[in-house]
Amino acid sequence: MRRVAERDVRIEGARWLCPVSGRSGEGTLHVHGGRIATHSSPDAQVFDAQGLWVVPAFVDLSAHLGDPGYLWRETLETGSRAGAAGGFGTVVSSPDTDPVIDRGALLADLRQRADGLPGARVCFAGALTEGLAGEDLGEIGCMVDAGAVALSDGGRAVRDTLVLRRALEYAQRFDVPIVLRPSDPMLETDGVMHEGAVALRIGLRGVPAASEEIGVARAVALARLTGARVHLDGVSTARALEQVRTARDQGLDVTCGVPARHLLLVDRDVEDAFYDTGLRLEPPLRPESDRQALVAAVRSGAAMVGAGHRPLSRVEKEHEFERAMPGAAGLETAFSATLTALDGDLHATVVALSSRPSAVLGVPASLQPGAPADLTVVDPDGTHLVTAPRFSKGVNEPLEGRSLRGIVRATMVAGTWAFDAIDA
Amino acid sequence: MDTASPRLKRRKDMLGLRGVSRAEITQILDTAARIRGVNRRRVKKVPTLRGRTVVSAFFENSTRTRMSFDLAAKRLSADVLGFSASSSSTKKGESLMDTARNIDAWRPDALIIRHPMAGAPHMLARAFGWSVINAGDGIHEHPTQALLDMLTMRDHLGTLEGRTVAIVGDVLHSRVARSNIFGLTTMGAKVVVAGPGTMCPPRMASLGVEVRHRVDEVLEDADVVMMLRVQRERLGRAVMTEVAEYARLYGLDLDRMAKARPDVLVMHPGPINRGVEMSPDVADGDRSVVLEQVSNGLAVRMALLYMLLGEEGHDATRG
Repeated sequence: MRRVAERDVRIEGARWLCPVSGRSGEGTLHVHGGRIATHSSPDAQVFDAQGLWVVPAFVDLSAHLGDPGYLWRETLETGSRAGAAGGFGTVVSSPDTDPVIDRGALLADLRQRADGLPGARVCFAGALTEGLAGEDLGEIGCMVDAGAVALSDGGRAVRDTLVLRRALEYAQRFDVPIVLRPSDPMLETDGVMHEGAVALRIGLRGVPAASEEIGVARAVALARLTGARVHLDGVSTARALEQVRTARDQGLDVTCGVPARHLLLVDRDVEDAFYDTGLRLEPPLRPESDRQALVAAVRSGAAMVGAGHRPLSRVEKEHEFERAMPGAAGLETAFSATLTALDGDLHATVVALSSRPSAVLGVPASLQPGAPADLTVVDPDGTHLVTAPRFSKGVNEPLEGRSLRGIVRATMVAGTWAFDAIDA
Repeated sequence: MDTASPRLKRRKDMLGLRGVSRAEITQILDTAARIRGVNRRRVKKVPTLRGRTVVSAFFENSTRTRMSFDLAAKRLSADVLGFSASSSSTKKGESLMDTARNIDAWRPDALIIRHPMAGAPHMLARAFGWSVINAGDGIHEHPTQALLDMLTMRDHLGTLEGRTVAIVGDVLHSRVARSNIFGLTTMGAKVVVAGPGTMCPPRMASLGVEVRHRVDEVLEDADVVMMLRVQRERLGRAVMTEVAEYARLYGLDLDRMAKARPDVLVMHPGPINRGVEMSPDVADGDRSVVLEQVSNGLAVRMALLYMLLGEEGHDATRG
């Protein structure tokens, strides 16, 4: 592992919540040797968490950090810091970089560079297909051997269903989750926002909900065919959620994540914000009925939450809406966006941001003694006004200016403080 | 100005007709109707906008809209300068915002912009202090076209309230249609649209219009039939079949005209694809008001420039 915690920590006065073990409590939490412990040494650093909650650190399964190749968007370091500031202990970097992470050697190099990052632990997903071009397979086995925690289409749906089938079949043996963006790329040609009444009014070409439904249907059918473990990243419509629910009811290992901001924002906001390119997003913001379905699915545990972190520079955003790149920073606000959307339900928020995504990676986040000390100290009752990203290089935060509930006070990764709001 | 009408708040920009009130549309049309007199004089120029600078920036090919705006500004004595995408720095990769910052450095009073992307005029209107007039943004709006269409209709019909306007063709991808839909419904007219499913899908009903398929279904009740241009150069893949099929199913010829009311108005935003949207005998027939549309375009643009830039209390029609 990256760093060794030099000093024990004693978190005092906090209430704690551990959905994975189904336990919660109040009192002192000990961290010893980088792990949750029952005791700590007398000279342990004391963290006064009076009035705060300690929860397992959050996990993001698909962050588009852009390192290597797009360092103006994010580097491993800024992504790591942004993650920790948002309460994330682990951030999985998507392979849509330059070069694309499609070979074991590239992934091994990156892992080395990620060692000792100051904030959240950054792990890597390998590209399912070479160059993410959707034609030949990436070096799946070598990448898993080099430490890939997932395989991914990097947010670019594989057009050729046969190639996707083969990729899932090949990858299935390596027992890592496969992260897919559910969409039909041809159906999204020229689309820049949700296809509906708002797009029609304001003259923007639409991305129909049907595109996502087709993507989910294809992924589910192939999961059934190949036995692959599929995580659908960026689900944004009510029907797609329904499809995932049905697949799970039938026993398939298919999970899905919704972008945190989609729990609060809707397509109408694009109109109200006068074509603000900060709201040019992938998947696009959907109508209110979809938003409500997403919130309900997260509340019930049917869907988890992703940060939808795709930071972009001013040069990429300061354009006409149709020309601006889709994406926004999200790591720093995912927690408060989710907690706000769930009316302050901290348990459901932690399940959605920590328990479920960590389980996808096969390492359920827990506060039980012996577990790695990846934890987040939060103030679920505090409110704050969202600002532009503070740590991420991304310039736009679609939630900027909104008052959200929930503040991340500190984040610990493997027993070491990775973020402390007092220093920041 | 017409002192009898209630005083409306002076607006900075004209970006589209959605959200523009009936009173304001009426005021624009009234002003255009009055200002038309200037264009019939021997000296077709008034000093209203002397010393004001109007920049026209066309990022898309245009001949008549551009010339119409230029002439409108010149007849009001404004200084006009313009550039088009082919001669401008956009070809060299400059962003729209950077181009606009350069224009801003010249301290213009108004920018007339046509752009292939929806919302481009809105972006500039939000960022800069000068007036922005939308001369067509993507498939979104083309407000001055709809205003000139409404002025032409009003000239013939007296009022728009309760009238039925049929819009035929690629309504989905038409900024002319959108602006007309917003303006006409605000004015109390009923709008019926017709065309193939790829150009006139049922979901267009959310704009407050009736959606039909065939031209014949809309002709009988229409006071106005507006035929949209088939923009073959801009259509996406698989939007339409052969042109001949389009002409047969959706084109307006004399046989179809026989089903319409004898006093129906036939309109077209131009340029016409003769033999596609309309047969030549309809385009040149006595129900066609296409050239009136063109001359009203000049009046509407003069009226707008005057209303956005003119000195308060100065009457442009007096000169």
